[in-house]
Amino acid sequence: MRLIPATLKNTVYSAFAIGICLAIGKFIAAEFHGLPGSLYGLILFTMSLHFSVFSAAKVQQSISWIISNMGVCFVPSGVGIINHFELIKQHGLTIVTIIFITTFLLLTLVGLWFERFNKIKLSDKKASEEAAINLR
Amino acid sequence: MNLISAQQLTLTLGLIIGTIVIYQIFNQLQKKLSLIWLNPMLLSIAAIIPLMLIYSISFEQYFEATKTINWLLEPAVVALGFPLYQHLNTIKDQWKVILSLLVLAIIITIITSFILTMTFVMAPEIAVSLSLKSVTTPIGIALTEQLNGNSSITAFSIILAGLFGALLGPLWLNFIDVRSAKAQGLAIGAASHALGTATISKISYEHGAYGSLALIVSAVITALISPLIINQLAILFNI
Repeated sequence: MRLIPATLKNTVYSAFAIGICLAIGKFIAAEFHGLPGSLYGLILFTMSLHFSVFSAAKVQQSISWIISNMGVCFVPSGVGIINHFELIKQHGLTIVTIIFITTFLLLTLVGLWFERFNKIKLSDKKASEEAAINLR
Repeated sequence: MNLISAQQLTLTLGLIIGTIVIYQIFNQLQKKLSLIWLNPMLLSIAAIIPLMLIYSISFEQYFEATKTINWLLEPAVVALGFPLYQHLNTIKDQWKVILSLLVLAIIITIITSFILTMTFVMAPEIAVSLSLKSVTTPIGIALTEQLNGNSSITAFSIILAGLFGALLGPLWLNFIDVRSAKAQGLAIGAASHALGTATISKISYEHGAYGSLALIVSAVITALISPLIINQLAILFNI
């Protein structure tokens, strides 16, 4: 019986924490422009957890629920593709193909470069560790 | 309450509940079968569109009814700060590398998108829209308006870039032997914004952390450098 109120408390706590960060984020976006309010909110949420303004332990459960269900929030705007059938017909598949190619270009560049960098760093680390062992 | 508003209320509730139920069915199905291409978001969109055509519901009606769901997108994006917080310490050591490789990759992609579109479609406003497709919708739209693109094409391209990266990104990255959660997260966050990040956050929190990071950093980089690049390209193409 005690489990339910505790979960409920954490849910309310999480909603409050996210709500505050989003509200401040929206205020910053309205005042200074630049990024959308939700991205300022994301940065603020990360910072407030880092500096223990909000407790990470209390929000953890709600966050994993949100992350596993947030896909539904993209459905309404995704359905908007219905309004662009004409556009796709008009320019054939060219536009879709260009989006496809350039999206994979970006994926490949970022993925490969970062993976390569991490491998180099890892092998450097290994080499220095081995050097340290040899010195002994 | 008069008849029309009662009917409207039923339609609104029906569409919201219907959307959630359809999504949950596909979500549970994916959890059971754990196949990444069985994306509940894509399948829901694919299931809802024919239903709308059958019952002749326009997108405007549907979007108006489900704006509550769309509104929840903002707090959900804020929640992505949690995985980022969990990996803040590892990321701190690598921010210089991450920043420089993202700047370089974004510049190359914007130039490629612009030139390809100018070559094959020959419409500057579409070229601008396609160059801005990898960032989150609000930023993409704002930049499109600033640079005289076409907002509805941008919106469409952003969704498509998101879906491609979310659905095929992990498969493609495994195929080219990019297997670490960090590199996969960073790549998909950069190419497929919040939509891709939301999808891969289910694989691991590390994916989510690097995805969220790439999402923010790419948005900032694109907002800062895309006007410069696109103006230069426009001069080059005599627009």
